[in-house]
Amino acid sequence: MIDHYVPAASTFAPHIDDLIILIGAVVGFWGLLAEVVFIGLILKFKAEPGVKSKYVSGELPKEKRWVSIPHYATLAFDLLILVMALRVWHEVKLEMPKPDETVRVIAQQWAWTFVHPGADGILDTSDDITTIDELHVVNDKTYQFELTSRDVLHSFSVPVFRLKQDAIPGRIIKGWFKPTMTGQFDIQCTEICGIGHGLMPARIVIETADQHANWVKANTALAAVAPAAPAPTPTPTGGMP
Amino acid sequence: MPRTSNFAPLIVTALAGLLAQGCVRPDGAHPTLPGQELFRACVACHGTEGQGTPSVAAPPIAGLPAWYVEAQLGKFRSGLRGYHPDDAEGLRMRPMSRQMMDEAEVKAVSEYVSTLALKPQAPTLTGGDAEKGKAAYGTCMACHGDKGQGNPALKAPPIAGQADWYLLAQLQKFKGGLRGTNPADVSGGQMRPMSLTLADEQAMKNVIAHIGTLPR
Repeated sequence: MIDHYVPAASTFAPHIDDLIILIGAVVGFWGLLAEVVFIGLILKFKAEPGVKSKYVSGELPKEKRWVSIPHYATLAFDLLILVMALRVWHEVKLEMPKPDETVRVIAQQWAWTFVHPGADGILDTSDDITTIDELHVVNDKTYQFELTSRDVLHSFSVPVFRLKQDAIPGRIIKGWFKPTMTGQFDIQCTEICGIGHGLMPARIVIETADQHANWVKANTALAAVAPAAPAPTPTPTGGMP
Repeated sequence: MPRTSNFAPLIVTALAGLLAQGCVRPDGAHPTLPGQELFRACVACHGTEGQGTPSVAAPPIAGLPAWYVEAQLGKFRSGLRGYHPDDAEGLRMRPMSRQMMDEAEVKAVSEYVSTLALKPQAPTLTGGDAEKGKAAYGTCMACHGDKGQGNPALKAPPIAGQADWYLLAQLQKFKGGLRGTNPADVSGGQMRPMSLTLADEQAMKNVIAHIGTLPR
């Protein structure tokens, strides 16, 4: 349903969509029902000529039910949402599948630097390819990313992956994704990072293995000319906050 | 309550729709905003009078020739400048330049910048020897002129009167390959080997000290 508007291009994107729909359905149903009951009661007990108002203390069991039943329903549905959310959280944020490749994502005012591992598939070697505002990945490959910031707080957001992760200066935050379709999609910063925050878009290019190999080949020569971005120096901190 | 109030949401929606229509800028159909208005995008860093803000490494731009501002904005917009991961200031300027919607807006804001009065720049660097720098300036003179007045024919901007910290930063960027290494950046490519003739930071400070003595 959501992917009709924003494609779901990662393995975990459909699960996040399902969670959003579940929360929307639960909250929407009970929210609408509460409004219907509320408006119904207003209409039922509206002022009538000759009818005196009555003070209701809410102490009788039949009166308490109006509070206690929604209260227990809220707890039950909260528990449902919590269980479903933890399952998705565990998959996206706590699991770290063995990556096929690792890319480095460096945020700074107001640009994204991406360090690709090049033909050897290993970062911090001479064939690394550094790009500004353009990340190239292969469809159906598992990627680990090392995210850091050179200046202030940023947030690495890839809407089609349903991925969003804060970038914090002084920390290297690791995460993962596995694309499920080819194409070019938006990357954006989703943490106010200064006057140019709104002007900090980038693109992710998801390619087939052949397309990516051609891209690597074409850019390896350029990488040899332009010095690669220095590796972030802070101590790795493991999982995502 | 007056009967018309029932239509209030409808009226508000219609007005919002009209307002949104005013924001639509179909390709080629929008009027170019005046340079003064476009310049508002620059003031946060370069100052209300284009005097520059050293604390954010934004240089003074007031009074720079329109052709130079236009050329540099073009380079930032196309990625010929502000492309290197270590060029933090360039990477900040790159998206800012793209606030100009098209070439006409770039031209308009460049012309406005050129009309701003040049602001005198107080020296911030110490240790430069203007006498020694005078000899080294011979290399610069061929393009930038004996008085640092620049030469549009060679796409060399005026450097007399420019902030010394900015000149040092740019010389270091040229020399370090952060600027002028893109093969498509012809004038930047010409400047880079010139920067390599300056052996170290002291040599740069010397030549900048000499530039500081040139009138503008």
